[in-house]
Amino acid sequence: MSIATIFEIVLAAVVLGLGIWTIVVRETYSATVGFVAYGLLVALIWVRLDAIDVALTEAAIGGGLGGVLLLGAAAQLRDSEPAVTDAAGNAVRVCAAILSALTAATLAGAVLVLPDPAPTLAPAAVSNAWATSLANPVTNVLMAFRAMDTMLEKVVLLLAIIGVWSLAPDSAWGGHPGPRHQADPHGVLVFLARLLPPIGIVVGIYVLWTGANHPGGAFQGGAILAAMWLLAIMAGLADTPPVSSRRLRLILVAGPGLFLVVGIAGLLFGSAFLSYPPAQAKPLILAIEVAMILTIAATLGLLLAGAPERRTGQ
Amino acid sequence: MTEFLTAAVGFILAMLALGLVSILRGPGDADRMMAMQLIGTGGIATLLLLGTVASLPAAIDVALTLALLATFASIAFVKKGLSSLDADGTAPTEPK
Repeated sequence: MSIATIFEIVLAAVVLGLGIWTIVVRETYSATVGFVAYGLLVALIWVRLDAIDVALTEAAIGGGLGGVLLLGAAAQLRDSEPAVTDAAGNAVRVCAAILSALTAATLAGAVLVLPDPAPTLAPAAVSNAWATSLANPVTNVLMAFRAMDTMLEKVVLLLAIIGVWSLAPDSAWGGHPGPRHQADPHGVLVFLARLLPPIGIVVGIYVLWTGANHPGGAFQGGAILAAMWLLAIMAGLADTPPVSSRRLRLILVAGPGLFLVVGIAGLLFGSAFLSYPPAQAKPLILAIEVAMILTIAATLGLLLAGAPERRTGQ
Repeated sequence: MTEFLTAAVGFILAMLALGLVSILRGPGDADRMMAMQLIGTGGIATLLLLGTVASLPAAIDVALTLALLATFASIAFVKKGLSSLDADGTAPTEPK
């Protein structure tokens, strides 16, 4: 048995153990910490499986933004937690266990009956890469071959932010999401919030740019930019924009909007909705991705900031 | 050289597992948070080594992302944990 195999076995065992603990542990806060660590380790597994694009997304969402989102929920639930944990009776527990076991068995069965070799479109995606002159097959699939899915996904992000905003009380509508953070201007948090964002913005743009030929892309880059923005907000260096701001709303619709415009242009001048002429495919895709990184960064940041809570000046 | 680097990955992974024990034991939120930081750092080291061993230069990009986002997550932990503790009026659980 080679060292690499032992490494894989240890990694899988650690991730499984951590996953089980995260489910079993009673305190929400501890479970959240476990979940963030789990996200970090799953990113390692994706790298080991040569799925770097997925690893980047997992590191950005599972290890970073998703963890922070759960954390906010855990902090808010802290007071009401005991009442919730007492509720489940034995019958409910047994039913939940049976349901979980059935789901797991179905999934295991589905994996076992997969044909070997598994059906794949990977060779087709690689052999048609000339049409976009991008070398990263994942970006090709996301931005060209299955561009419709990606566009609709951005619309879903937009719907999510509308859902979060609709939780705002009437008095705060149009105001700023989240509390106004205060921090010691000479403290370590403010220092870090000044030091890290310039580096993070460069890394975010780099991840977007390198996505054309290497793993990366607008979503991962946007998640990094959102984290840097939230860092400045948490340190009190910046405030969340009021949700009634016209500029903010323009940024929120820029990505899906440009995607739609390009798609309809493809319908009018080309062969189909979202068909790019091969000569202009790369500039078009890059333009859409630049608009999308802004939309994604703003959307993810606002999703984490939460519903509007206070009017301007409060 | 590859064997040595792989062995180094294994060693760091063992350290990660130790960090996990600390997450499991706690007892306070702050202890768990510090252990999460250790796992984040160890994960970055593993990624850099793994990228070299398997000649995957893109693993360095994942390590960069992880470095930025893990820092961000820990700050959010401190911020959110503290604000909820202030609201409760209870003393924060400081590591002794």
